[in-house]
Amino acid sequence: MGLLTNLRDSISRVTDGLFTDSEPKRIGIYGPPNAGKTTLANRIARDWTGDAVGPESHIPHETRRARRKENVEIERNGRKVTIDIVDTPGVTTKVDYKEFLDHDMEKDDAVRRSREATEGVAEAMHWLREDVDGVIYVLDSTTDPFTQVNTMLIGIIESQDLPALILANKTDLPDSDVQQIANAFPQHETIPLSALEGENMDEVYTKIAEYFG
Amino acid sequence: MPHQCTECGRTFPDGSKEMLSGCPDCGGNKFQFRPAGQSTDSSGTPSKRTPSEGTPSKDTASEPEPEPPSSQQSGGKPTTRTSPESTPTGRSDSASSADLPSRTESDAGPATPDGDVETSRDTSETADAAVDREKTTQRVHDEETEDAAQASARSDVVSRDELDRASRDVSATEEPTPDHSESPRPDVDELRNELNEQFESIRIVSPGQYELNLMELYDRQEYIISLQEDGRYVIEMPDAWGVED
Repeated sequence: MGLLTNLRDSISRVTDGLFTDSEPKRIGIYGPPNAGKTTLANRIARDWTGDAVGPESHIPHETRRARRKENVEIERNGRKVTIDIVDTPGVTTKVDYKEFLDHDMEKDDAVRRSREATEGVAEAMHWLREDVDGVIYVLDSTTDPFTQVNTMLIGIIESQDLPALILANKTDLPDSDVQQIANAFPQHETIPLSALEGENMDEVYTKIAEYFG
Repeated sequence: MPHQCTECGRTFPDGSKEMLSGCPDCGGNKFQFRPAGQSTDSSGTPSKRTPSEGTPSKDTASEPEPEPPSSQQSGGKPTTRTSPESTPTGRSDSASSADLPSRTESDAGPATPDGDVETSRDTSETADAAVDREKTTQRVHDEETEDAAQASARSDVVSRDELDRASRDVSATEEPTPDHSESPRPDVDELRNELNEQFESIRIVSPGQYELNLMELYDRQEYIISLQEDGRYVIEMPDAWGVED
């Protein structure tokens, strides 16, 4: 018995040495629609694996199914962190096909997109409960963060004791107000970035390694 | 006295709790339902139990033993769901649950005179026909106490909330609205709305328009993987997840 325990301990020590952590952590990228989640996921994936996660779009609910990029190895300060990135559909309390009609979409397509987006939100919420070890919460820093969705999701994440990194995205836009995001969730550290332009990504990776490593 | 012990003949009012653990007198556990209109027939073929027949005759069943004001007081107490401003006409009914022991003594046998039964039918008919306020109120009270008795009898099985709701529905018909079948409607609708708000995870407003209850979606074990045009969901059950994993 004692021999087995010792053996197991020594094996786990060896594997710990080989990999920085026993299993890659699943990090969900959450946030409201159009906050730049997929842009960020693609940026991270491209920077460290060379592949993209999924198509980006300015039309809300482009991501309607959670997409996963596995074994993304991030190296920071001589330390490797392996994570699975889960890009989730934007979480919202209302989905209306009419908002897609403005984007040159036929009604049938808009209705279908709306339905898929709703399914995607259900899926994202389910993943948050079952399948995620940490959260990168992406907010559009040009919009008011005090929304029901943000408050509720951050509340859920906190109640789950999940490590969470809040990113104030779109700092390249003139209306960006990072302080507004920081004020909304003072209990968390807020990192400004532009996922589109790749601004401040170094700090983002450092924080990812620190929070999820 | 719609229920009668087949062993000793002891009778119990509709919805009595006493009989649930057997007849208190002889321990018998077989009872027959006897609409009071047929109480004279001891062989008891409990044929019909339509409320219009059962209720008023139950009324008369307690009438042979009139203890007017005092029994009304004591009767009013246990059936707390009865509206406090119950008119004197509600007397006989409210007595039905409270005066149970004494009543059953007198009602034990097939004692109700035929004449009484007749008058009771008359009363019910006139009450139905006339729009007279007093009589309709009496009818409402008949229903009310019956419900209260039923409610108290079932309270071990049915949840308290449900009972309260049931009794509220009836007391809401305090105004002379004899057709109380209408009255529960608003409450049911209200309740449905309330439940929708609390429990529905995805509300389909119209095709392509959805409202999502995030907390509910998060709390559910199973998760919705497909929404159908007709408003149905396809969900993935937690068991399936377990198998997959």
